[in-house]
Amino acid sequence: MVRFQNVGMRYGLGPEILHDISFQLAPGSFHFLTGASGAGKTTLLRLMYLAHRPSRGLISLFGRDTTTMKRRELPALRRRIGVVFQDFRLIDHLTALDNVALPLRIAGAKKEAIGAHVSELLSWVGLKDHIGARPPTLSDGEKQRVAIARAVIGRPSLLLADEPTGSVDHEQGLRILHLFEELNKIGTTVVIATHDRDLIARFGRPVLRLVGGELSVHRPPRVVAPSSALAQQAGGL
Amino acid sequence: MHSDLSFDNDASRHFVPLIVAVMVYLATLALAGSMSIGGAVDQWRDAVRGSMTVQLPGRPGGQTSPEAVANIKAITDALLATPGVASAAPLPDSDIQALLEPWLGDADLPADLPVPILIDVTLDDGVSLDPKGLAQRLAVIVSGVQVNDSGASLERLVRLARSVQWVAGIIVALVGAAATAIIIFAARAGMSAHRKTIELLHLIGAHDSYIARQFQFRLLVLSLIGGVLGLVFGAVTLLVLTLLSSQVQASLVPRLSLTAPQWAILAMLPILGTAVATVTARMTVSRSLRQSL
Ligand SMILES: Nc1ncnc2c1ncn2[C@@H]1O[C@H](COP(=O)(O)OP(=O)(O)O)[C@@H](O)[C@H]1O
Ligand SMILES: [Mg+2]
Repeated sequence: MVRFQNVGMRYGLGPEILHDISFQLAPGSFHFLTGASGAGKTTLLRLMYLAHRPSRGLISLFGRDTTTMKRRELPALRRRIGVVFQDFRLIDHLTALDNVALPLRIAGAKKEAIGAHVSELLSWVGLKDHIGARPPTLSDGEKQRVAIARAVIGRPSLLLADEPTGSVDHEQGLRILHLFEELNKIGTTVVIATHDRDLIARFGRPVLRLVGGELSVHRPPRVVAPSSALAQQAGGL
Repeated sequence: MHSDLSFDNDASRHFVPLIVAVMVYLATLALAGSMSIGGAVDQWRDAVRGSMTVQLPGRPGGQTSPEAVANIKAITDALLATPGVASAAPLPDSDIQALLEPWLGDADLPADLPVPILIDVTLDDGVSLDPKGLAQRLAVIVSGVQVNDSGASLERLVRLARSVQWVAGIIVALVGAAATAIIIFAARAGMSAHRKTIELLHLIGAHDSYIARQFQFRLLVLSLIGGVLGLVFGAVTLLVLTLLSSQVQASLVPRLSLTAPQWAILAMLPILGTAVATVTARMTVSRSLRQSL
């Protein structure tokens, strides 16, 4: 699904932020990505969602080498990737509905097909009453949920979330993670960047840890599943 | 059309229509001027085709003095004997006076003013006479005879008119080039203002064409508004000029009167301008998008 081989990354002429990163994510896997602030989590995700080309090394996605790919082939690949940006990146003059519908519209979906589907998802993330609201009128937590809805609306094969629980309270963070688990159950490969150790411990998933520009993989023993009450909550999310 | 890019607050909203309006206005006037000069040239050609004027030195006492009468008779006879000449007749004093009126006023000419005598010569169809040879022959009969080759002076006038048309053409071309440069600038400025949104659209899988289309449509609307405004102001200006020029009696001043097809050509200017703006915007945006990842 995702394969990095000896990837190095620097911005412009700056210092190398990632050195010799090599790892592989199996289809349907669920990983946390952690590391101190400034360790390069966002940079690593940006490489995965093709916002940057690596300074060196090979990156393949969905079994295809992205470094030799032509520009016009990238959109098809990007449409299979859902991204929750750390800074949300919602479009301020569009309603929540239109923001979430954007990936579908870009992919050329029919207008009628979009509307119902999008409002259903927005109600599902608890924004039923904010469908027509524009981002500047929403709280950070609400924006984050719009951003999450936009990332998952196209049923991506790969979901990359950059600190998706950074702006919501603990309770809501759990609900969001349960949503991601649901998507993971239906086959989506998930990578979540976070420095919330509590969350990581709670979900007992393999962890990619960035330290000093190097990546290590940790597979903690799966802790006892979180309370079934939480699982039920996720169902109602 | 739905737009993902928020254009409401960017500068192009005001300055693109304004600039396009000015450009179309200037182009309308230049083109209209050029077309009426073209019409005037045709009229001049028709007016002087197949005619010449022979000028005799004036005599005190005007055309009625015995000397003048004899001279006129001798020259007219010689002209009529020349092959290719259909008719030859002196312009009456009153016509000459009318010709001189703009310079001398409408008072009766003093009797002793040596007003030149003009003989109007009409040629047979398709005939042209060498004015120099004719002048030499006639000078033997009456000294000081001049033959005005209206054809030659017309050609000088036509050359002048053509150069004015060239200048008008160059103005239209420069206006077009300036407008294109401004559209390129506006498209680039728009792209840098919306850089973050453009990156987002790319990252969620938009092709360049999806993004370029939105800029293209935006500039289409703005330049169409400007173009129509420019044409309306241009047309109003032309109507006023037409009205003013119809009050001028000088036959050499080209009348500003456009035919229906010429008005139709002017009406195409905003459409042409919009098409150029749209294609330019599309090309500029696509080109610069290609440099992103
Ligand atoms: N666009 C950029 N240009 C230059 N340096 C950058 C850029 N983005 C991030 N960095 C630098 O790269 C390092 C890693 O940043 P980032 O990937 O955002 O880390 P994290 O997401 O783990 O906090 C930081 O030192 C940061 O200053
Ligand atoms: Mg980050």
